[in-house]
Amino acid sequence: MSNIRVAQRSHGVGHWAVMLLALVIGALGVVLIGGGVWLITLEGSWYYAIAGAGLLITAILLARRQMAALYVYLLVWIGTLGWAYWEVGFDWWAQVPRVVAPTVLLIFVLLATPALGNRYRATVHEVPA
Amino acid sequence: MTRHPKLSLFVSALALTLAAPAVAQDTAPPAATTEPSAPTTTDPATPASPAETSPPASSESSVPDASSAGDSAASETPTAPETATPADAAATDTAETPTTPADTPEADATAEDATPSAETAEEAPADTATETAPPSAGQTTVAPEGEAMPTAETAPTGTGDSAAAETPQSMARNAAPQPEVGTDWPFYGGDAHALRYSPLDQITRDNVGQLERAFVYRTGDMPSEAAAGKYAPETTPLKVGDALLMCSAMNILISIDAATGEENWRYDPQVSDDAIPYSASCRGVSIYTDPDAAADAPCATRVIEATLDARLVAVDTATGEVCADFGENGEVDLWDGIGERVPGWYAVTAPPAIVRGIVVTGAQVKDGQAEDAPSGVVRGYDAVTGELAWAWDLGAPEANKDGPPEGETYTRGTPNMWTAATGDEELGYVYLPMGNSSVDYYGSNRSEQENEYSTSLVAIDVTTGDPVWTFQTVHRDVWDYDLGSQVSLIDFPADDGPVPAIVLPSKQGDIYILNRETGESLFPVGSIEAPTVGSVEPDYLSGEQPVSEYHTLRKADLTERDMWGFTPIDQMVCRILFKQANYAGFFTPPSTDRPWIQFPGYNGGSDWGSVAIDPERGVIIANYNNIPNHNRLLTREQADERGLRPINEQSPGESGGSNAEGAGDPQAGSPYAIDVNAGWRAPGTGVPCTRPPYGGIRAIDLKTGETLWDTPLGTARRNGPFGIPSYLPFKIGTPNNGGSVVTAGGLVFIAAATDNLFRAIDIETGETVWEDLLPAGGQANPMAYEVDGRQYILIAPGGHHFMETPIGDYVIAYALPQN
Repeated sequence: MSNIRVAQRSHGVGHWAVMLLALVIGALGVVLIGGGVWLITLEGSWYYAIAGAGLLITAILLARRQMAALYVYLLVWIGTLGWAYWEVGFDWWAQVPRVVAPTVLLIFVLLATPALGNRYRATVHEVPA
Repeated sequence: MTRHPKLSLFVSALALTLAAPAVAQDTAPPAATTEPSAPTTTDPATPASPAETSPPASSESSVPDASSAGDSAASETPTAPETATPADAAATDTAETPTTPADTPEADATAEDATPSAETAEEAPADTATETAPPSAGQTTVAPEGEAMPTAETAPTGTGDSAAAETPQSMARNAAPQPEVGTDWPFYGGDAHALRYSPLDQITRDNVGQLERAFVYRTGDMPSEAAAGKYAPETTPLKVGDALLMCSAMNILISIDAATGEENWRYDPQVSDDAIPYSASCRGVSIYTDPDAAADAPCATRVIEATLDARLVAVDTATGEVCADFGENGEVDLWDGIGERVPGWYAVTAPPAIVRGIVVTGAQVKDGQAEDAPSGVVRGYDAVTGELAWAWDLGAPEANKDGPPEGETYTRGTPNMWTAATGDEELGYVYLPMGNSSVDYYGSNRSEQENEYSTSLVAIDVTTGDPVWTFQTVHRDVWDYDLGSQVSLIDFPADDGPVPAIVLPSKQGDIYILNRETGESLFPVGSIEAPTVGSVEPDYLSGEQPVSEYHTLRKADLTERDMWGFTPIDQMVCRILFKQANYAGFFTPPSTDRPWIQFPGYNGGSDWGSVAIDPERGVIIANYNNIPNHNRLLTREQADERGLRPINEQSPGESGGSNAEGAGDPQAGSPYAIDVNAGWRAPGTGVPCTRPPYGGIRAIDLKTGETLWDTPLGTARRNGPFGIPSYLPFKIGTPNNGGSVVTAGGLVFIAAATDNLFRAIDIETGETVWEDLLPAGGQANPMAYEVDGRQYILIAPGGHHFMETPIGDYVIAYALPQN
């Protein structure tokens, strides 16, 4: 029974919120990978394809409710900050498209962390059952 | 370059002695001999003569640089006898100044030059007086008289006479003292030199915080349904006596009380909505005082405006009554000789320049319609009678000088002058900032004359209507880089003394300082290699283009990392577009295989708002745009698919308005139409593809061309994705349209940006020290004046359809609280 309880808990509001977040981040990731690869073929920046891949991995991990989602996303976010500084320094207006949206996503990923790892625990519980 | 001092002295003395008999008796010839200071000239004027735009002008051959020499020198020579009092001629002859026939016109040019300087010296404060006085540039023949006259003290009468002898058949009058800026604001650009500077200093950085609205007047001229989305009044009133004189967007002439805003009179010339070309604009009006009329005679002083439906209209400044003696019942029809009347194709939006009694006007020929478009002819009319004095049709300068033969037109499709010209009463010149040919983005079928004059500053002698010199800022312009700014006349503070000069800002952001008499640049003109990537007409393009080494407002070429957006996704889309487009930097030519990026775009750099100059501090204030356009030539088939038709094939009033200029222009008669994405906004979001700032304002040291400060102009409060205002109070630097006024109180007043704020900036620091939220877009040049010892700052916020600011009919005056 315990695993059923876990399942019920995991399909509450938190679950759907995390799934929605995973969906959004996954969609962004796919768009960035698509556009980013196109940009690479035009001899443009590699950032978007790489960041897109990071987002896609984050989304998959989120969907699996693994805490690793947070770590991967943190990596993307820190990498983004570094790249953004390298590109335009402290030009704050130029930083807007580079940093604002990724930081908003970071906040959502952080908000999702309490809901992460449940599945892992559920799995642990399931084994003895 | 140097002239022999003794010889020079001798020549001036001789000139004067000879002149004396021809001149009023009180012209004391001895004065001339006491004129030891004269022969100092070492002619600093063309210290560094431009690399390529003008030939290594030996000062002797002075006049027109090679580009214009052929035609102007030749055509001018005949004027010499007219102008020349015998003295002049003698002077020139003896003057050793060997050289070319070009000397002769030059000689008379400065004889004229001397006149006003002497006159103004009498009554004008140092400012103007010094202007013409110093021996000027590169002149050979010229200098003797130029120097002699002012020292002759008595000149006014003397020169008056000699000048009278000047032009038996010219309609031009003698140089007259020009009204001064201060209490009044008698010219669109402030004073006759268009400095946009007011010597008033009651309002300072310390008290500007108390500034309040003294009155708000509304003209009542708001768009009808048919004119919705086509208004951009851009109006700057004049202030003369107790009244403000202005025109509304649809050319209604209005006089209001300058202290109270109460209406004195209005005159509506009844311009129809379908006459609106791209925008309903009337930037200003001009006044003229008839020197032969009694002060209280009707129309002794008259307001003259040029209308959207291409009429010159003259009314009495005091009453608004039509000046019956002007043209036909107060009007002159500018369609005369232009060809088929297609409303909106040929329209005037700028105030005419009035020089020596000649009203000079060009017109806006709506861009991009067809090769077979109205002529860009510039015409001069007698300010009293409205009679045609001359026409400068660059395609047929001699044949059409007095108008085209019956049944014919002025040369069609030639470059036009849509912005404000500047008159030079002293030299008798008018400086025309020329635009490009009617088909802006394709040039292979342009005539040689079009190539010679497009996007050039051209000096025309108003006494003859002939070009004197020309200075080209873009060779073979296929970018719509029209010269849009009104030029300003200054005494350039050269090391060897002031040189009468011109400040010429361009849409590419370059600022040139030119010698007024010769058109030569006082600073080196650089040359850059121009790219040909993707061009549909590489053989037509000029392989090199000029750049100013004095100053440029232009920023570095774009790179991928300059792409912008609100999120990484729209930024990425813009990067893809950037990489897909043809772009090899400044002057990347038009292409059709893929879009090309034009940076700076056609909004500037500097556009019609022009620059303001503080002659006391020696500072130029320039606001500018910093935005690219994303363009593509369309093949004829693509154009047909999109239904692009020239204005003469559309129903009246159908075109114009909301679209960006060039966003789908047919360019009929050329192989390609044009599609412009002005300001290059991202598809969908409407967010600009390049990073801010999109506009700025800068202070430049007049003497050195160095930047003193530079700051973004405009906040983000009204901008945001999908057109949603962000209300962010941060400075972002928005696109801007309109200029500034500088006051002796040390303040720069400017709106122009799309945030609807009218602000005062400390000229020393660039810091904004006061601002007021306007009820409509501030896309107009502000001005300053005084009534009963109280200083007013005024702006007419009318909005601008393309700048997407609210349209209004306001005129708002600000002043410090009384007591």
